[in-house]
Amino acid sequence: MNLFLSLLIAACGLLAQDVVIRNATIHPITGPQLTGSVVIKDGVIAEIGAKVVAPKGAKLVEAKGLHLYPGMIDSATVVGLTEISSVRETQDATELGDFNPQLRTIVAINPASEHIPVARSNGITSVITQPGGGVIGGQMALIHMDGWTWEEMAVSPAVALHLRFPLMSGGGGRRFGGGQGQQTSFAETRRRYEEQVQKLSQFLEESRRYQKAKAAAPKGFKIDLKFEAMIPVLERKTPVMMTAVRERAIKDAVEFAAKENIRIVLAQVREPGQALADIKAKAIPVILPGTHASPLEEDDAYDSQFTLPSELFKAGITFAFGTFDSSAVRNLPYQVASAVAFGLPREEALKAVTINAARIWGVEDKLGSIEKGKWADLILTDGDPLETTTQIRQMFIKGREVNLDNKHTQLYKKYLNRP
Amino acid sequence: MRNTILFYLAAVGCLTGISQAEVPGVIAIRNTRIHTATGPPIQGGTVLVRDGLIEAVGANVAIPADAWVIDGNSLTVYPGLIDALSRWGIPGAPSGAAGAGGRTPSLDAPSPLADPSPGPVPILGPAPAAPPARGPEDRPSNSSWVRAQDLVRATDRSIAAARSAGFTTSVTYPASGIFAGQGAVINLAGDKPGQMVVAAPAGQYHSLTVRSFSSFPGSLMGVIAYIRQVYLDADHYQAALKAYQANPRGSRRPAYDRALEGVLESPRMLLPATRAVEIDRMIRFAAELKRKAVLYGGHESYRAADLLKKTSTPILIDLRWPERPRESDPERRDSLRTLELREKAPGSPAALAKAGVAFAFYSGGLERPADVRAAVRKAITAGLSEEQALRALTLAAAEIYGVGDRIGSIEPGKIANLVITGGSLFDESTKVKFVLIDGVKYDPAPESTPPTSSRTEAIQ
Repeated sequence: MNLFLSLLIAACGLLAQDVVIRNATIHPITGPQLTGSVVIKDGVIAEIGAKVVAPKGAKLVEAKGLHLYPGMIDSATVVGLTEISSVRETQDATELGDFNPQLRTIVAINPASEHIPVARSNGITSVITQPGGGVIGGQMALIHMDGWTWEEMAVSPAVALHLRFPLMSGGGGRRFGGGQGQQTSFAETRRRYEEQVQKLSQFLEESRRYQKAKAAAPKGFKIDLKFEAMIPVLERKTPVMMTAVRERAIKDAVEFAAKENIRIVLAQVREPGQALADIKAKAIPVILPGTHASPLEEDDAYDSQFTLPSELFKAGITFAFGTFDSSAVRNLPYQVASAVAFGLPREEALKAVTINAARIWGVEDKLGSIEKGKWADLILTDGDPLETTTQIRQMFIKGREVNLDNKHTQLYKKYLNRP
Repeated sequence: MRNTILFYLAAVGCLTGISQAEVPGVIAIRNTRIHTATGPPIQGGTVLVRDGLIEAVGANVAIPADAWVIDGNSLTVYPGLIDALSRWGIPGAPSGAAGAGGRTPSLDAPSPLADPSPGPVPILGPAPAAPPARGPEDRPSNSSWVRAQDLVRATDRSIAAARSAGFTTSVTYPASGIFAGQGAVINLAGDKPGQMVVAAPAGQYHSLTVRSFSSFPGSLMGVIAYIRQVYLDADHYQAALKAYQANPRGSRRPAYDRALEGVLESPRMLLPATRAVEIDRMIRFAAELKRKAVLYGGHESYRAADLLKKTSTPILIDLRWPERPRESDPERRDSLRTLELREKAPGSPAALAKAGVAFAFYSGGLERPADVRAAVRKAITAGLSEEQALRALTLAAAEIYGVGDRIGSIEPGKIANLVITGGSLFDESTKVKFVLIDGVKYDPAPESTPPTSSRTEAIQ
């Protein structure tokens, strides 16, 4: 029976059966809420309205009293690359070496990761996966949370390059009995930092020389995959996601990007301080980490991480959210919800995990809202998807209905039946 | 010929700088201002020193005919200063002394035992790398049997520097460790280490340092549990030895354990406590172990003065007040807690004095006379009286170590350790003119920049 059902679902997936979702409260995100129907044809949203014409043979989904939202996007994860962080064998995110722009995380993704169905059941339909190690760790991929192979999952296989910008931070740990341990002098810290930035600049310069040499197409030109991967970055076609947590790192990253004339997305911003103005002035998008975190400094306000998203919104900065994890992706909606409790308008919170993410990653023609012509990445819910009490009733990815069963629900059922 | 030999002897003496006064005899400093540390200052008084001891002090002291008379019209005489916790005199250690709970980098210097290259214990030779400790039975970070008086060298260059700052005595401890070893009260002059020792052992020096995360103890709770076990073991060891000695025949002999011997020899524990919470914790710990304890660090003791008083716990105050590291990141934001401690720490001595707590100062690695005096001045600015400050640098330290009957004040019969200055000890511009140690006069080394400060060493 189960096998039959699976086969049927698989077959449906392959055939991409047309679907009509009727009488739903539709939240298009990019437009006003309405009650009506959505027609999915060949995996794409074909029609939205109070009255629609159902295609012949379309499956009807009765959604009276339910809400239809676009699927959510987690803008930074290690889904499919890290299964259990403490088990070395299940980690495939990190390569050795400082500069590895040629690495494609897309090919390392495990489509059978247990985290994928778990995250799906909370409404996440797409994620960005990022590599771990080095300065330039490799290429990030935008994937759908459904598919038998990475090819089926891929939305944008090289959506951005990941760059861990060198960090200026001193050493020195705490010791018992008070006081600090041995400190690295600031002069030494700065020297090391400048050395690393210099290496990075050198790498970019070499990449430019390669680009120029290739353009001249000399005879016997030797392909180098590292530099090859840098060309779309130098052409400003592919953005670079740069990790920068605090004000100084952000300023350094922004300045570096301007100097090197590359497009950047800032990631894991937690304490932007005065750098907010720079971010706004240069219209740099930001990927915020989860809000459920302690303040960075012991004297910071307890809610400094909760209020950060609303500060960015007030400053007019475009931002999305990332969980920077694999198992925590399921909590994305609740991390965002806490920002709503601390001043971020609810619609903006939803935008941050849908259309804003799609815009930042250059896929707003396919993802991020319920609009005609976009892929049917939809969630049918019994309430606000940012609420923990809300259940995701049905999910469609590229128009295919996706199984919401997962390890958590299986364990739930198993222990529910324990005598 | 004979003259030549004398000349050479004199020359050698000058070079080593330790024998300018091979003629102790009788010294009288007359017509001078005397701060005895036990009473009000005496104007126009005389201090008479004979054979290394103070013979008389007062306004009307008859000067014997054999006395070498120093006119003290422009001078002030104080008891020799005591550094209540230091590493002075032990070569190989940075001249900076022990700091509270290891705040100064110098405390992290390996024990002379662990790294015997410049150290004074060639007998042991280089120790083979020990396997990681798994528990208290392996006695990790323990050299409780090591005695400072056996490590002290009369020629150590830190001694002359300390003398120049007006110190005549230090309570010197071996390098750091959870059980670092036994301290000794030493006078900062002498031809042989044996002559320098005033009293020993002074106590067992403890630090609560985790040295490695791959070896026991790797956490604060592990360190505390370890110390607790060793003291319990020591009590048992003592009882077992006694029982065995009473009746050796027919009983199994207890195994010799040098770590426990060292603990049993020590008359008191020295425990680090900078923060008020640490002061509270260490007082409870010592009470639980039924040991006499002296706390060191004490920067936040302004918040724990009543507790220290109630439990009659003496505390040594680190004169290296907390401050923002000179080499730190200019954009670093220090927490309010840190800023508050920096602001209020120099007020601790005044709070302790007000509450009637026994406290003394230690140099905490400050080396230049100017630095020591500036640090004491900070405490005075924060409310400590000059008499209390002097006491904390002299008699209070002696009393905490149970040698108040020998040193620490200018009273007849005490050891002639004096510092003679050109004015108030606590004035910035005042110079140390000379010191007497065991009745022998030593002139300060010309003050210049210190050979190497512990800070520059830390950078290298």
